[in-house]
Amino acid sequence: MLKLTTQAYCKMLLHAAKYPHCAVNGILVAEKQKEKKKEGHTSTILCVDCVPLFHGTLALAPMLEVALTLIDTWCKENKYVIAGYYQANERIKEVRPNQVAEKVAARISENFSEAAMIILDSSRFTMGCFTPILSIYDHLDNKWKCRDPSTDSFEDWTEAQKITSALLESRSYENLIDFDNHLDDLRNDWTNPEINKSVLHLC
Amino acid sequence: MASVSELYDVTWEEMRDKLRKWREENYRNSEQIVDVGEELINEHASKLGDDIWIIYEQVMIAALDCSRDDLAWSCLQELKRQFPDSHRVKRLAGMRLEALERYDDANKLYDSILQDDPTNTAARKRKISILRAQGKSSEAIRELNEYLEQCVCVTYLFRYVLFLSSALSSYAKAAFCLEELMMTNPHNHLYCEQYAEVKYTQGGLENLELARKYFAQALKLNNRNMRALFGLYMSASHIAGSPKVSAKVKKDNVKYAAWAASQINRAYQLAGRGKKENKCSMKAVEEMLESMQITMS
Repeated sequence: MLKLTTQAYCKMLLHAAKYPHCAVNGILVAEKQKEKKKEGHTSTILCVDCVPLFHGTLALAPMLEVALTLIDTWCKENKYVIAGYYQANERIKEVRPNQVAEKVAARISENFSEAAMIILDSSRFTMGCFTPILSIYDHLDNKWKCRDPSTDSFEDWTEAQKITSALLESRSYENLIDFDNHLDDLRNDWTNPEINKSVLHLC
Repeated sequence: MASVSELYDVTWEEMRDKLRKWREENYRNSEQIVDVGEELINEHASKLGDDIWIIYEQVMIAALDCSRDDLAWSCLQELKRQFPDSHRVKRLAGMRLEALERYDDANKLYDSILQDDPTNTAARKRKISILRAQGKSSEAIRELNEYLEQCVCVTYLFRYVLFLSSALSSYAKAAFCLEELMMTNPHNHLYCEQYAEVKYTQGGLENLELARKYFAQALKLNNRNMRALFGLYMSASHIAGSPKVSAKVKKDNVKYAAWAASQINRAYQLAGRGKKENKCSMKAVEEMLESMQITMS
């Protein structure tokens, strides 16, 4: 089962906060597991980070392919694996995954069987972040099934809540870089080292 | 809390000019517009002259984005007082109702504008936006199509239909809109590049070749368009790797892809000059290009 670290959760929400009037999406990455798991033993996989991809139009193929290939290479360097996909829809009342989400998530699950698809529920998005605002879908029996909402999906929910709220208050989302920003100016770093530093600093 | 002028050490003239830049370039950085605009209005209204009215409009719309109904309301009142029978101000009042999700009341306002002036495009556009906000996307597209048939060459309408079509993955419709937009704006590299992306997404060899041509065209119009460069690389690589092409086509596309790859590398080198952090991106690009060349050959 996939769990989220504070850094992954934070950056997803900052991405959505930066573009409140757009749909946004991105990729989640997890640390590569070295040992082989015993049959039937479900382990916890930690999503340690996320890469914000696009805002506005999410459904065009070429840039998505470029992004996935680049992220894949970056993952190999850092012993990560692409483990999931997140999306926030343009309309806050739309909280279900659409065609784009299912397609990308399906592609990811081809290479990583425990991949998750996450849909952000912007209607519950507050500065205080008192409840997790996402729906996590796991790929079971060829269908995407929504998990029961629970703070168990987080490595440390209290920490995630506190830090995300603090970064929202300080408007850190203004400095979040997504892949679109990178394509506009190559100097923009989609690994967001500055924000990662802020998260660590607040831990 | 420190004022904007104190925090950023700017004069009121610089703040006013920044607002104008954001207005002219259609930025939607509403939080910043509210910060700067509110201070400008509160502290420097007398110095702004006639600019103040367009600033009230800009700040009001930004305030709606930020749920600052107090600010939106006061801006609206000032505008109502100055321009009591204006359709433009009425439309702003409608937008406020939309922000409060009072869609029926907003529609009534827009209908009254259209009764007075059936050609009022702003009111038409707002009614369609309401349909979108309510999730009635197909109705919105239908209304837009009807409107397009009545009007000649309305760029923003095509862009709107394009946006909706892309959102709903109606690629054929998106392509059609872009064809119209490219016809009336032949020097716009963004339309060329977006058209190429749509064609690429539609898939198939013919569309890929079209995509490659339009990515190349976009680059001719603006050689710094990274999306066009990447797109050229991807489409040429895929064509070269396809089993259905002749040896000559394969050779040509390998050439195009190689050229694009070297340009991409060069762009990353220029961007990464002196910055250690960018080495990671650069390496990733190099490896990506290498791995694609392997699958190509």
